[in-house]
Parts: sequence; C-alpha cells; structure tokens
Amino acid sequence: MIESAVQATHLSKSFGAKQVIDDLSFQVAPGDVIGVLGKNGAGKTTLLELMLGFTPPSGGGVQIFGHPSVALPGDVKVRVGFVPQQDELLEQLSVADQLRVIASFYPQWDSGLIQRLCNEWGVDPRARIRNMSVGERQKLSILLAFGHKPDLLVLDEPVASLDPIARRQFLEQLVDASAGGDRAIIFSSHIVSDIERLANRIWILKGGRLDWQGDLDSLKESIVRLHVRGDAGAIASVAVPGALSLRREGNFATVMVRDWTPERQRELEARASLSIDVEALGLEEIFLELHR
Amino acid sequence: MKTVLRLVYTYFMGTAVTRGLTLSGVALCLLALLAVTYLPQTAHVLAFAFSSQLAFFLGSASMPLMFGRMAKGRGVGLLPHGRLKLLASAFLTVVIVALPAGLLAPVVYAAGNSFKLSDALKYPGAVDFLLGMAILIYTSLTLLAGWLYLAMWFLGSQRNASGLWRSLVIVVLLIFVPVREIQELSGKIEWNLVQLALTWMVFGAAFMAWPRIKAAMAQRGGWNRSTRKVVATRDTWGREVALILGTHNPWLLVGSLALPLLMATRVGLQTPEIWLFFLTIFSVVTGAFAGQAAARSRALWLRRGWSRAELFAEVERSFWRHNGIVSGLLLAFMVAIGSFTHLPGELLAGGLPLLVLGTALSTYLGFMITRGLRWIEIALASGVMLTLMAVSLLLSQELVKLGLVFAIEAVLLALVFVLRTVARRRWSRIDWIECRPPRTLVARQA
Repeated sequence: MIESAVQATHLSKSFGAKQVIDDLSFQVAPGDVIGVLGKNGAGKTTLLELMLGFTPPSGGGVQIFGHPSVALPGDVKVRVGFVPQQDELLEQLSVADQLRVIASFYPQWDSGLIQRLCNEWGVDPRARIRNMSVGERQKLSILLAFGHKPDLLVLDEPVASLDPIARRQFLEQLVDASAGGDRAIIFSSHIVSDIERLANRIWILKGGRLDWQGDLDSLKESIVRLHVRGDAGAIASVAVPGALSLRREGNFATVMVRDWTPERQRELEARASLSIDVEALGLEEIFLELHR
Repeated sequence: MKTVLRLVYTYFMGTAVTRGLTLSGVALCLLALLAVTYLPQTAHVLAFAFSSQLAFFLGSASMPLMFGRMAKGRGVGLLPHGRLKLLASAFLTVVIVALPAGLLAPVVYAAGNSFKLSDALKYPGAVDFLLGMAILIYTSLTLLAGWLYLAMWFLGSQRNASGLWRSLVIVVLLIFVPVREIQELSGKIEWNLVQLALTWMVFGAAFMAWPRIKAAMAQRGGWNRSTRKVVATRDTWGREVALILGTHNPWLLVGSLALPLLMATRVGLQTPEIWLFFLTIFSVVTGAFAGQAAARSRALWLRRGWSRAELFAEVERSFWRHNGIVSGLLLAFMVAIGSFTHLPGELLAGGLPLLVLGTALSTYLGFMITRGLRWIEIALASGVMLTLMAVSLLLSQELVKLGLVFAIEAVLLALVFVLRTVARRRWSRIDWIECRPPRTLVARQA
C-alpha cells in the first residue's frame, strides 16, 4: 500500500468567529503535484500552514506520512520542505552561512545540488542577506527547502517576486524534483499559467472550502463553455443545470457550465432540439468563471 | 494640515489600547483638576496628576514606531510634502503630549500651598510666577517627551543590541539631566526653548535631507562598509538553534549595556537608590529579548524533531544560557562596585535577588507573548516593573525594612513560577499564524 504524504479529514480552522478553512478532506499521494488556487483571503496560506502543523486545527485533523501534523516526529520533519510566503532568513548572515546553518539540521543535505543551483540561479554565496532584493531572498528560501531533498515539498506562493527567467528556472527544478514520481509537491500561486504547466492536480479554494479538487484534465472537461444554437423560442427557454453564467443573443446562447459530461450534452440536445458546441477553457478562465 | 491632524489622531487613537490610554489620560487629567482643587492635599491626590500624564504619554506610544515605519517607507516620498507633514505630526504630538502636566502644574502648586488660584489672580507677581512655572514644566516635559520617543523608536524599530544601546544611553541621560531639572525646578525657560528649537531644527533638517544623504552614502558604498561585519561563522558554529533564536552571542548584549551602565554608575553612584533603579531596568531589559522567542521559534518547527513542549524547553534553555551570562555579569558588577564604594549591606542583600528576579520575570513574560502583545501582558509587565521599582526604592530608604523586601521578593519568585507555567501552557498550543516575525524585516530591502 502506498503511504499517503498528506491525509486530511474534516479539517477546519477558525480565528474567532471567522471560519477560514471549512471541513476539508483530501489526500495527497507521492507523485502528486498539486496547484492551489484561490482569491486573496481564500485560506491558501492557512491551509498550507495547517497541513504542516504551524497552527492547530479547530476541527478535524491532518496527517503527514501517517503522523498528526501538530506532533510531527523528527524523522518525518526531515522529509518535509517548506517555502513560506514570508521568508525567514537571518538578516545578519551571508548566503553561505545561512545555507550552512540550515544544512546542519539535515543529515541528508545535498551540498552539490545546492551549489549547482546557486550557480544556475545566480545566487552569490558571499552576498549578505540584508543587502539582497526580495526576489533574491525568495530564490534563497527555495534553495533552503530543496537542499535536503524532501519527500513532501510545500511552497506558498514561491514565485511571486521572481523575474520570468528565475521563474522558468524554478519551474524546471520543480519538474526535475517531481520526475521520479516519489515526491509530493503542493504549491500555491496566483500565476495560473505556472500551475497549468506544472500541476497534475488542482485545488480551488473558495470561502475556506475546496470548490474543486481533482486532476487538471478532469477540471477542463468538467467546466466548459457551451455555444448553443436553436430557434429563438428554444433559446429563450434554455436552462442548463449547473450553469455558472448564461448569455442569450437571438438564436444563440453562451453558457458556462460545470460538471459537464457528454451524456448531459446528448440529453440536452435531444430534449430541446438544440445544437451545442463545447469549447474547452484554460485554467485562468475556469478560475475566473468559478469566482464570478 | 488635515493630514497632520489625521496622523496625530491616529497616533493617539489608532488602536484600542492607545485609545483607552489616551481617553484615560484625559479623564484622569480632569479628575486631577477636581481632586487638587477640592480635596485635602496628600501625596495620593497628586497620583491622579502623575497618572494622567503617564496614561496620556503611553497613549501616544505607538507614534515613534508608526512615524519610523512611514519615514522608512517609499510611499511617503511620493505623497505631496509627505516628509514635511510627517515631521509636523511628530512635533505636534510632542507638543500635545506634555499639555496635561503644564495645565495641572499651577493648580497643583496652588492647592499644595493652600491658596486658591482665584486669589493668586489678585497679585500680578503670583500670576507671573505660576505662569512661568507652568511654562517651565511644560517645555521641560516637551523636551523630555521628544527624547523618550526617540529612545522608544530605537528600541522598537531596531530590535537588536544597537537599538537597545542607543535607547539606554538616552534614558540614562534623561534621568540625570531633564528629570532632575523638573524635580528641582532648576531649569530655565529660555534654555529649554533654545534646546527645543535646536533639537527640532537639527532633527527636522536631518529628517528632510535623509533620502539624499542615504542616496549619497549608498553611492559611495557607505552601506556596504557598515554591513561588512562577520557575525555568524566560527564563533557561533555548532549553535544553529541559538543563532535562529537570536541567543547565540550574549556578549553583544553585554557590550550594549556596558556604556549606559558605566554612565549610570559614574553619575548616579552618589544616589544609590537611582543606581539600583537603573540596575533593575537593565536586568529587565536582559530578559525582555524573550519576547521575540515565539516568532523566531517558528523557523525551528519543521527543522527539529521537537514537540511544542520540547521546543519550549529548548528555547527556555537557550535563553537562560544567554541571559544567565548577562545577568551574572550584572550581579558581579553590582557586588564589585557595591563593595568598592561601601554601599549598605541591606542594599546588596535585597538588591541582588531583585536583579535576578527582574531578569526571570521579564524572560517568562516575554515567553508568554505567543499571540502578540495584548492587554494582559501589558498590565502584567507594568505591574511587575512598578513593583521592582518600588522594591528598589524601599531598599534605598534610611531604615530598610528587609523583612518587607524579602517578603515582596518571595511573592515575585512565586510569580516567576506562575508565569513559567502559563508560558509553557501557551507554547504547548502555540499557533505560528498568530505570531510571525515582523514583516518589516523582510521588506526592508525591497
């Protein structure tokens, strides 16, 4: 049986009266690359930090490699890498010193890998952290999470301050990291194209709940735009269950719909003598439609 | 003007805590006016006047930090006359904050000397005297408040040994110069006004020119030179946990305390009560660094196999290793100077435990801050500080009641254990979403 990297059951978190995470259940297996999408304040950071035990849940629970996240033993922690949204670097150190300090916590630290990445990403080991730009600091934070080759890598908006070249290099490294299929990666980002390029599963958080969780292809098959043609009467009375939006114009209607299946298409065409063309959407459009 | 007033309003009323303190200050000031006018004059009645000024000052205590953050930010440079308005708001705050003392001074004086203010109006000389006294106290306090804000800014914005050093030097100088002048009414209005004008002109000019000075220094590589110090290589090696917690090098703190301590000793040894007062403040400062422990420990959570309870134990050990050295040196210093200058045995007998208690109490109060600074911690810290001060004053009286001192110290010792228990319980369910390292540290180089 394959060991789950993360397993959450009815996970909830509230701050006072505000429910930030509401009854989430999910499982993350090795090989999963999960992109977490959500508007600002949707609960992405809280969810990621809940998973890693930084904050205790208000209800339910989450396990990392079979252990409750709020009480992770040392041998589990060395299998986890985390890039926080807000870096936790020591301002007074140089890059090399910071790398050495963090490396000392992990017996399996791969200095060769980090040296190579420093060269490729243009991170100067002699630079003082306090003199580095936000983007440079972010690169360093990512390196610190990669060095011990974690089995579970969690990244909270890791590319927010990176330039396009650094972003591309980071994504390539993430592809390399996930290539073996034995590592789970969870990352949140507002750059939907990155998630679309890299993730094989998508979580869309809305109001503290998982509005969608599943693989990217299923999501794209499920949420589609329908171009409906028929006589004016049929168009005027067209009703599509699960419609997110509906726009009528004479003999045409455009419908955004979720949970779409070929069966539903056949059924609708037969019922109202309509002609329906299905247009697949990009992830960004899907995200926008779900939040309209 | 609207912006300046809005800023001043925000300094005094921006948060629930400052709003509460400011309004309490105003209410206490009104109460004090009534009390000193209509009640028999005792030291207790004057406490109203003192409390009103203190509450009013504390109500604006967020000004230095807010001012500093805005001054450092780039946004203020883009606003029309942003820096000038910011400077004006700071000046106006200082001018306003000293008002209660200035207003109350003549009333308190009249009441203290058993005559009515209305009677004084009949004698032009008396009016001049009272007015002069009010202006003297007001200008002295305006000066004092300005320096205190600067000390608070150093302490709040530069949470390191350098900030601590600068703020302690200012506090030591303040206690021995302006405070004494206020106490003895030995200052001169003209001299105060000259000091005020000079201070604000120099500060204002430097503040307005700062972006250009900074740019020029950066161009000449001035910043690089200042950051070329090796902090953490060989001397801290093998102590990574301490490095992350900021407890790796107690000698930084010892170095920061050295100059203010020597200044306090040089100036204040003739008055042992003030000297002990200072040592007590220094002992509390030593422990106050623990206030950052919860936020800093976040970086250790995923990197060590410790549970939350074990993490607390490690953090506690690390801080005691650090504070033990500083506290030990402070005690040794007190014994050495005390023996050399033949200070009374009672002062040393009661003073030494007091310093240890100061460090222990502030350390555990610091550990208790796991969800930001709230009312309970502020109230506890104020209570503890006042008690420590009271004991140091008790010890400097001619007939020292050692029994009473030891009894209070025993209560304080019990409080140490209570605070430790509370801190440990809080750490057992610490939520790092509620205590993150300050974001300004991260954004500083943006």
